[in-house]
Amino acid sequence: MKGTYLGEFEELVLLTVGALYPEAYGVGIMDEIGKETGRKVNISAIHSALRRLDEKGFVKSEMGESTNERGGRRKRLFELTAFGKKALDEVQEQRMNLYNRIPNISYGS
Amino acid sequence: MKEQQSIKPPRWVFRFLTFFCKEEFLEEISGDLEEIYQVNCQAHGKRRANWRYAWNVLRFFKWSNIKKTTRFNSNIVTMTRNNFKIAARVLWRQKVNTLLNVTGISIGIACFVLISLYVKRELSFDKFHEKGDRIYRTWTLEDYGGDQKFFYTNSPLPLEKALEDNIPDIEMAVQYNHNNFLVGEEGARINEDIAVASPEFFEMFSFPIVNGNQESPLADRTSIVISEAYATKYFGSKTSIGEPISVQINGENRVFNVSAIMQDLPKNTGFSFDMMISNKNDDILYRKEALQAWFNVSPETFVLIRENSTLAATEEKLPAMVKTALGDRVVEGEYTLGLQPLTDIHLNPEFPLANMPVGNPKYVYVLGAIGLLVLLIACINYTTLSMGQSMKRAKEVGVRKVVGAQKSGLIWQYLSESVLITFIAMVIGLVVAYLLLPLFNTLANTDLVMPLDFESLWVYVVLALAIGLATGAYPALVLSSLKLTNVLRGGQSSLGGKNVLRKSLLVFQLLLTVFLISSTLIMKKQLNYIQNEDLGFNRDAMVSVVLYPAPEAQGLGDNFTSGFKNGQLLKTKLEANPDVSDVAMGSHIFGSNGWMQVGFNDNNDAFKQFNLLVIDPYYISSFGIQMKEGRDFDPALDLDKRESIILNQAAVDYFGLTDPIGKKLPGKDFGNNTIIGVTEDFNFESLHSEVRPLVITQNDQTIFSGINDISISDSPTPKLVFKYTGTSLLEVKSILDEAWASTFPNEELRFDFVDEKLRLMYQDEARVNKIVGIATVLSVLIASIGLLGLTILIVNTKVKEIGIRKILGASPLKIFAMLFGDFSWQLLVAILLSVPLTWYLMSNWLKDFAYQIDIGVDMFLLSGVLAFGLTTLVISYHAIRAAKSNPVKALRTE
Repeated sequence: MKGTYLGEFEELVLLTVGALYPEAYGVGIMDEIGKETGRKVNISAIHSALRRLDEKGFVKSEMGESTNERGGRRKRLFELTAFGKKALDEVQEQRMNLYNRIPNISYGS
Repeated sequence: MKEQQSIKPPRWVFRFLTFFCKEEFLEEISGDLEEIYQVNCQAHGKRRANWRYAWNVLRFFKWSNIKKTTRFNSNIVTMTRNNFKIAARVLWRQKVNTLLNVTGISIGIACFVLISLYVKRELSFDKFHEKGDRIYRTWTLEDYGGDQKFFYTNSPLPLEKALEDNIPDIEMAVQYNHNNFLVGEEGARINEDIAVASPEFFEMFSFPIVNGNQESPLADRTSIVISEAYATKYFGSKTSIGEPISVQINGENRVFNVSAIMQDLPKNTGFSFDMMISNKNDDILYRKEALQAWFNVSPETFVLIRENSTLAATEEKLPAMVKTALGDRVVEGEYTLGLQPLTDIHLNPEFPLANMPVGNPKYVYVLGAIGLLVLLIACINYTTLSMGQSMKRAKEVGVRKVVGAQKSGLIWQYLSESVLITFIAMVIGLVVAYLLLPLFNTLANTDLVMPLDFESLWVYVVLALAIGLATGAYPALVLSSLKLTNVLRGGQSSLGGKNVLRKSLLVFQLLLTVFLISSTLIMKKQLNYIQNEDLGFNRDAMVSVVLYPAPEAQGLGDNFTSGFKNGQLLKTKLEANPDVSDVAMGSHIFGSNGWMQVGFNDNNDAFKQFNLLVIDPYYISSFGIQMKEGRDFDPALDLDKRESIILNQAAVDYFGLTDPIGKKLPGKDFGNNTIIGVTEDFNFESLHSEVRPLVITQNDQTIFSGINDISISDSPTPKLVFKYTGTSLLEVKSILDEAWASTFPNEELRFDFVDEKLRLMYQDEARVNKIVGIATVLSVLIASIGLLGLTILIVNTKVKEIGIRKILGASPLKIFAMLFGDFSWQLLVAILLSVPLTWYLMSNWLKDFAYQIDIGVDMFLLSGVLAFGLTTLVISYHAIRAAKSNPVKALRTE
């Protein structure tokens, strides 16, 4: 069942792809993650994660318009697939289930 | 047309990216990188952006991004991979050889890295200041004709303001000085070195402030800046802003408040302070006249030249400023002011010493050269070894050529081998250097650290590559150009006649090694000589204690009187101890350069200078200084206390006195004085210089009244000396502690052993000797490894020859002689050639000493014997084994 598991960093990237729609691409995602979580991530890590997500079918991509600041090169724009959204929903649900079960006592003392 | 020329990332990095990256990812990756690059360019500048670009490209260099279809470059990639694979196999097959090679080069690299750390430290002194290229230190040359020339790099107090006021090219001028002060409240005072500097100090120099007032930490006269180390020492925390520190200045307690805490000073700066106060306090530090005086020098003055001005433009305006400031007090040309670059101070001994320490540039270059030499020896080692090895590989080359190998292909094949070896050796060498660093620091008395950053990593990688290519180049060329028919026909005659080059390389390597051995021996001998030389006085078990003049003592004379008076109290206490004898007091004690020097105009109006020593009547006898004529001071005579003086022989010669006893000093204004004795010359300063004229007196006023110039580098605070006759040197401290505590309970005790201080005078030389010694040991090790490798090689190639000889009746001894003979004449040539080289370079080094040893034949004989002994030792095992082997075994094969 390789490919359905969603790693922590992958999840973060996937969320960002969804949040940035329709303008989600490498550097944009990196900046957004930096802004939201304060994590400094190397661009190559983002690319790897995106490629893995693509292989698993959570995102799809197409080439966008070329811009000047990129030396005339095109961006690869990513967007969530329905499958990707479903995966995120599941993760979210699992989290909430567990979260709601935390009894008050466990962080007392 | 392009709308504008935008900044582009470095082309070669981009090329690398296009080279390895899969086509389908290239556009998005390069686009993203370009975007980040442009942002970085804006934020951090082009240089940083370039580095980050390269780093990012490197991060993309991973399996998933690399082209798998290698249609375009397939051959190169495959061949490189194949080359390294074959290289690894060959190295693995010849384990002994590989081991020797790797060890040799690793040692060479380790040695080179260690020495380069030291050289780099010396060369990097004060090169880190952001405005460093615009900072200069002032120097002054006073020239009144004849001997009356004064050259100094400290400066008068009013200079700072005069420079700032009169020269628009100067953005700011800063004074820097440091002095000893008693710090703390009564009862717990410590003697601390405190720097006194202009408020703009931290603006001019890049010493980061970590806490407190960043803008103007020295703005108030009660501000004090302390280092992190001192913040911890005094207050136990690094954030102790506003805490009070009381400092005793001219007998008065003054309270300063910590305004800022700075990072501890780096090791490669000439500044050295842990506490700094503002020079707004000059008015309480100096007398009123000193603040205005142009001929009373003490701090160093640094200037920052404006960005739009130049050194030449600034220096041009200096004479006019001198004229404005000094008026008609000096004639033109008598008082010259100049500027010396900050970065030049540490390694330029042409300029006299002030506060900033000056190293000997010669030593730095010599050590750098030696580091390179050892590396060179290691490289030559590898080359000679692998050339010898190449005989064995001839058949392999033949087969490769038959199958169609090109010459260039073969060259690359062999280069990959040497590159692989050097990379392995580099890693081992770095680890060894890292592990040896503490030992090196202890031996050479340094405090170096090994930087572990990317920049040095790059340097090491490039270095390894360069060594690999350089050492492998020649063997690779030789091997690849072998004639196919010759090789396959058999026989090894094809390998270039008599191997002249290989032999000369070996001779050259041995020569360098022998040269290093002899130099170490000669340096050691000279150092032993100067350290054990009879200096003309007793120094064994002599202890010196810095006395404590009353705080209210003003001026030198008062200082002496008060210090001696207090010393008397201590003396009485000490003399009660049976292990203490020969107690005496004086203004200077042996073991420090820069005794007080004074100048006067003699009866013929010629300017004369001499050193002055103010003592009590026991000093000369305590140190066992020999009298040549006349008598020593008599403690019972009042006359001696007032006007008797004693000269050394050098002073008698210098003043041109004949029959000096009973005569006077040849100056008009001296007080009543009579020469009662002449001492033999004794070396009161380091043996770098000859004994200078010295006048000894009990009454400083007699001399002071007649002089017109005075300069002091060694502290003239009176000191007490005594001889310790007990057995345990550790006890000295407890004896002193007790006597001191009951005499001056509030003051800090400072004492030294005289012989220890004398030893420290040659610290620089001792350090160089140690480092050269380390390099020598390592190079001998490398040379031995090389010889061992060559012996194995030769024995192996001559197996058959030895077998045949033995069958024909040669004795094992004869065979040993045959094997040894070849090396021994090469060694002999090397030793002979090393003699002139060593002699020339070492006599140059010895010129720095006024008292030097002769470079005797014995030194060369000794190093020759050493080299021969080592060679024999290294060669013996294999040679003897070969000589004793059963010839049948050797001849049975084939």
